[in-house]
Amino acid sequence: MHAAPHPRFSVLSASAVQSSEHLSPAASSTRFSLPSAPSINTNATASKPAVPRQTIYDRPLNKIRAAEVSASAFSFLFSEVVQYTQKRVNGINDLERRLNTLGYRVGLRVLELMSYRNEATAKAPKREIRFLPALMSIHTQVWRAVFGKPADAIEKSVENADEYMIIDNDPPITRNISVPRDMSQLSCSSFTAGIVEAVLDGLGFPARVTAHNTPTETLPNRTTILIKLEKSVLDREEALKT
Amino acid sequence: MSHHLFLLSPSDTPLYSLTHYSSKPAQTTATSPLASNLPSWSTSAFAGTLTALSGATSATQAHHAQGGTVRIGGGQDRHVIQMIANASLDVIEEIVRKDNMMYLKSVDKFNEWTVSAFVTPGNMKFVLLHEARNDDGIKSFFHEVWELYVKTMLNPFHTAHTPIRSTVFDARVRASAKKYL
Repeated sequence: MHAAPHPRFSVLSASAVQSSEHLSPAASSTRFSLPSAPSINTNATASKPAVPRQTIYDRPLNKIRAAEVSASAFSFLFSEVVQYTQKRVNGINDLERRLNTLGYRVGLRVLELMSYRNEATAKAPKREIRFLPALMSIHTQVWRAVFGKPADAIEKSVENADEYMIIDNDPPITRNISVPRDMSQLSCSSFTAGIVEAVLDGLGFPARVTAHNTPTETLPNRTTILIKLEKSVLDREEALKT
Repeated sequence: MSHHLFLLSPSDTPLYSLTHYSSKPAQTTATSPLASNLPSWSTSAFAGTLTALSGATSATQAHHAQGGTVRIGGGQDRHVIQMIANASLDVIEEIVRKDNMMYLKSVDKFNEWTVSAFVTPGNMKFVLLHEARNDDGIKSFFHEVWELYVKTMLNPFHTAHTPIRSTVFDARVRASAKKYL
């Protein structure tokens, strides 16, 4: 009684395999690795080298439509970034510095990619060598490339000649972040500050860039990116004026 | 005719270098036609004879009087080539401050070598040593190298100090050198 159904079962299953193999060989070869289908196996291996692995060098650099990143996906990622960083630092300054460093790595790439996209079609590609046009292009083009909209204002400090400010009324990356009261100095836009610092550095305007919360009554998320230029930049601008 | 390409990071670390021997004949008479038609590795043995035969320019003759090590090719003079490329960095740095073009034509000359450069917005320098004038070809070549470099740079594991070791990058640069130089 125990032995009777066993051979029947095995016969049934064997025929089932056979018939399925007969009907759809491709499906059966991917599901089970049957040694009885060598022709299919060689087909599969032969088609692999025909399509070599695509590398970054095979893909065009130009912006394709619908290449935008979902804001909620980015918010999740950025919140993880902040949490990850926060576990590994002591103090707000350290946290901001780390976020700045992360942004710097992004900024280096933003600068190169953005200029390639803008200038590659031009007959004689150009770089920015004056500070104010460079600042303007950060305000519009970098912001547009990274956040999809230009920043809201550029200001020049009245007291210090080497300080400039880029103002964003509602930075998209911190829209879903509410900073606890005891850390009220923290601005997660330090990440953006890092991007700006990398772009300025790349263009040859070394500067220290920091982010500050500057809320107003109507704009609670208003953020100022403060750029403090190194002295060499001002000297160079002075020399280029003539 | 040989070309030497160097990619230098903003802090002047060499990331990639390539020596390309072009089969194309010289397009101008800047170098002696006989010398450029011969394979460059053979000129070392016959350098003296060759200059005598082809009526070399005064520049090369003056140079031979100094010791005659530059125009050897094939790897022996690697350090000389590197020195010329490095020496031109000072000139490039100076021009970069004033000129807003990315492609800088013949920034420097050293005997028969002309140095052309291309500077990306991120201050990455591509330096090319060449003998004959070929502005359009070099421009197109730099343009392709630029595209390849931007793609390399998008790799999150690439930093400004990582030497570029990708075989695909190498193959593509060689292909475009073959095409334009």
